[in-house]
Amino acid sequence: MSGVLVVIETSAGELRPASLEALAAARALADSGPLTALVLGSGIAAVASDVAARGVDRTLYVDAPVLERYTTDAYARPIEAALATLSPRVVLFGGTTAGRDLGPFLAARAGVNCLSDVTSLRWDAAALVATRPVFQGKMLTEVRYTSSSTAFAVIRAGVFAAPESAGSGTAEPLDVTLSATDLRVNLREVTTPPTGAANLADAEVVVVGGRGLGSKEAFDSLLGDLADAFDAPLGATRAVTDLGWRPHYEQIGQTGKTIKPKLYIGVGVSGAVQHLVGMQGSETVVVINRDADAPLFKLAAIGVVGDLNEIVPALAREVRAARG
Amino acid sequence: MNILVAIKQVPDPNALRFDASGNFAPNTARVMNEYDQYAVEEAIQIKERTGQGEITVVAIGPSGAKDALTRALSMGADQAALLTTSEPLDTLQVAQLLAAEARAGSYDLLLVGQETSDGGSGNVGPQLAALLDLPLVSNVVGLEIEADGTLVLQREVEDGRHVVDVRPPAVICALTGLNEPRSPSLKGIMAARKKPVVEKPAGAPAAADGQVSWGALRAEQRAVKGTIIQETDADTAARRVVELLRERKLI
Repeated sequence: MSGVLVVIETSAGELRPASLEALAAARALADSGPLTALVLGSGIAAVASDVAARGVDRTLYVDAPVLERYTTDAYARPIEAALATLSPRVVLFGGTTAGRDLGPFLAARAGVNCLSDVTSLRWDAAALVATRPVFQGKMLTEVRYTSSSTAFAVIRAGVFAAPESAGSGTAEPLDVTLSATDLRVNLREVTTPPTGAANLADAEVVVVGGRGLGSKEAFDSLLGDLADAFDAPLGATRAVTDLGWRPHYEQIGQTGKTIKPKLYIGVGVSGAVQHLVGMQGSETVVVINRDADAPLFKLAAIGVVGDLNEIVPALAREVRAARG
Repeated sequence: MNILVAIKQVPDPNALRFDASGNFAPNTARVMNEYDQYAVEEAIQIKERTGQGEITVVAIGPSGAKDALTRALSMGADQAALLTTSEPLDTLQVAQLLAAEARAGSYDLLLVGQETSDGGSGNVGPQLAALLDLPLVSNVVGLEIEADGTLVLQREVEDGRHVVDVRPPAVICALTGLNEPRSPSLKGIMAARKKPVVEKPAGAPAAADGQVSWGALRAEQRAVKGTIIQETDADTAARRVVELLRERKLI
């Protein structure tokens, strides 16, 4: 049993960045044997070839209409086929909603537990050791897996840097029978957010508000003003979109968008793991919060502890004056 | 529709404070895990809508975990089971115990919270589905039941929302936005006192070959040495922020 298998997820033919990041985690696991990527999706022959040029030893792919979007049964089949063929020592998934299902699901089917939401991975003799945040990001712990059976791990998104593609390489189709009738969950419909909100992903500056704003009115007026001063789009935490203060497509976090702006400004955002996962790649983080213990301050290059009802308007003023 | 809801009693995330050694006060308040509250509420709403079925809530933990079960009964669940243990269990062991409970009954739906606020792995729902060979639908923010009993679920994922359907029995993982958990009424609290709560030992964990064990907790190293401005008036703080942004050529 040797080698690392990395499951590369696509959705509607597009690569999930978190899966590519898992390739980097795999490469960091030295002396593990060959690195194989398994690309799953529909209409993905070209995408598989791109993955093959990202420093992997072998690339397999399964291209089928039922794989266009993730459902558990459809994705589990080809992965288990690859496991049977390759007998890897380790299987890695990117920390997407699908990866967070498949890691523990397939591990349990194989009779073992899964190392989930890990931010680092290494060998310590025969044990696989990972670091993971717990208690909503307040603390870290090391987790160990000592079994000689295949290890399963899910790599947190936004931690590793995806390896670049050198262009194209050779990918081999993996022969797997996928009959739609024995897939128990049927995807009926996908609703995607309006394209107008796409500028969040490309924006150099993003202003994000959390529950600490207190109300929809306060959010819209205080943050609207600050975003306007920076000429930046607005983002929101899950708590805010759940409360209905802002539309879902502005949500930044595990079940929303991932952003990596030059400047992230978080106002009234505590910094729960759910959200951190969507913004921890930001270059400079500014945090404004009444609570000095808010976990988000750990990422802050610049932090202000105080009443945001006073600080935000003052900051908007100063920023406008500075930008002229 | 008979429903099994697995819940966990966790330290209250709003009350949790860790010291330098990674410990928190033993008397920190405990609450029902937030996402489990959506699971319990959804079970009750399903029962109210369909007018039939029984809701069983199950928890694994020390005797004190009964509080979370009592709350679920007060909200409207019908019966509860507590599997007592003071051993640390990993998520797969938890899922194995829950699977045994599920097999002992006849359930159309297994509802869990998507993840807990302490471990936060999100493992148990998927593991439960694997052990019971049931379909899994995670990240659920909407649930409807069609006339023929088909479940139609809305999942919140990276590319927006997926609407899926599945025939029960199935494992469903609840996310925020699924519903608004009710506060128990006085009537519910009184009724809960008469509802059965079975307390039994969880038993020794299954063979631990594939176990994942935790080390000691430690605080995250400050990744960025930041400048924290506090105890200053708003105008001064704002000017300082702009100054610092200028230094970094961000303004």
